[in-house]
Amino acid sequence: MKSLNSYIDHTLLKSTATKQDIQILCKEAIDNQFFSVCLNSCYVALAKSELSDSAVRVCSVVGFPLGAMSSQAKIEEANGALYDGADEIDMVMNIGLFKSQDYKAVVKDIQGVKNLMPDRVLKVIIETCYLKDFEITKASELVIEAGADFIKTSTGFGPRGASIHDIKLIKSVIRPEDRIKIKASGGIRDSKTAMEYIDLGVDRLGTSSGIAMMSNQTSNSDY
Amino acid sequence: MNIYQHIDFTLLEPTTTESEIIDLCVEAKNFGFNSICINSCYVSIAKKLLKFTDVKVSTVIGYPLGAMATASKVYEAQKALEDGADEINMVINLGYLKSEKYISMLQDISKVKQAIGTTPLVVIIEISELNKNEIIKACELCLESKVDFIKTSTGFSKNGATLTAVKMIKKTLKDQAKIIASGGIEDFETAIKYVEVGADRVASSYISGLKKKSQQLRNKAIFEKYMENKKNNDLISEPQGQIAYRKESR
Repeated sequence: MKSLNSYIDHTLLKSTATKQDIQILCKEAIDNQFFSVCLNSCYVALAKSELSDSAVRVCSVVGFPLGAMSSQAKIEEANGALYDGADEIDMVMNIGLFKSQDYKAVVKDIQGVKNLMPDRVLKVIIETCYLKDFEITKASELVIEAGADFIKTSTGFGPRGASIHDIKLIKSVIRPEDRIKIKASGGIRDSKTAMEYIDLGVDRLGTSSGIAMMSNQTSNSDY
Repeated sequence: MNIYQHIDFTLLEPTTTESEIIDLCVEAKNFGFNSICINSCYVSIAKKLLKFTDVKVSTVIGYPLGAMATASKVYEAQKALEDGADEINMVINLGYLKSEKYISMLQDISKVKQAIGTTPLVVIIEISELNKNEIIKACELCLESKVDFIKTSTGFSKNGATLTAVKMIKKTLKDQAKIIASGGIEDFETAIKYVEVGADRVASSYISGLKKKSQQLRNKAIFEKYMENKKNNDLISEPQGQIAYRKESR
């Protein structure tokens, strides 16, 4: 099994994050060999240059955290982030259109971004905290239909983050032939919780607590 | 003062459905509010609904974090204009302000301003994340970019507007830009207080408005009047009912 650090998207999305905060985030990601840094689109170019000599990827959010931006604007934001050097995009599904049961528009919103980046990883945040169980499975089906690479649970800005129950629901609709993966995010603060998600088959973890997790894990193994 | 004309009726929750947007438009028209403020995915639908009314369609850009790349904010604004927006509300890049990257922050605003031409630009400075000096600095940068309005809050941060902050912003702006108070303003009495200390407009959420309305409906007399109006399909007199309630409650 891969080690915990290689599952982590080291995340800093608060609105007041400074340039210096981003530089520190990148350095931490290099030191801990995290999979990526996940940040707002205004800092993609900076992070890319900070990480130029490392294997750490840059992941940018799009339409974040409400997902209620017009589809064209999401495409343009993704396009700009890819141009600035983003390796992966985490976009928020249009939750309002989903609640309006305009599923065609929800799929189109995702496809518009995916078409820009056929060879790069697109994760779609379905924001499970706002969805009932049957909506979580429906949203997951739409993300798969749209051809995205990951279903991601949460923005971290809603009333709650990921839950084990969410992951089980998402997994229930994934067929063996689907190449979709799962990213759990929001409220994952310690290595024990992280390992629970990994044991369930989650491929990626979005967390701002990566550093605490790593030291926690180290101290456990030392013990 | 007709407070309704100072109200920006706001619905920005991520779960907002098309039918809620339709309700919002109808209510805004019936009350005679200044504008509705919505996310950019619903601008074209709202514009169609409000085409033959005086209610403006206002939308948000880079919302609510303000941490979107400048080029993307510019594009989102342009697209919203194309869809029919009458006014653009953008969030400043708080990270740039905190990093003291004032030129980057200024450019972020100026480029949107340039892109939208004569369409009014509202700039949200999110006062709950700023100290006093940062609020003043943000106002100065907004003036330098010749923005039309400074808005206090997104409503998604820890706190919204305060009367003290609005007074301070008023002093800094010296009437070179107008003020919109927003965040946590849930009734007309409070809205009036903000206008009295110098806010030109007050943004109030649809959700809280409705909550307020249901409270008001508990007043039996008003409720009966409301039902009667509803029966007669008299859409105009509902706000009058609320004014009456306001007087009674004093």
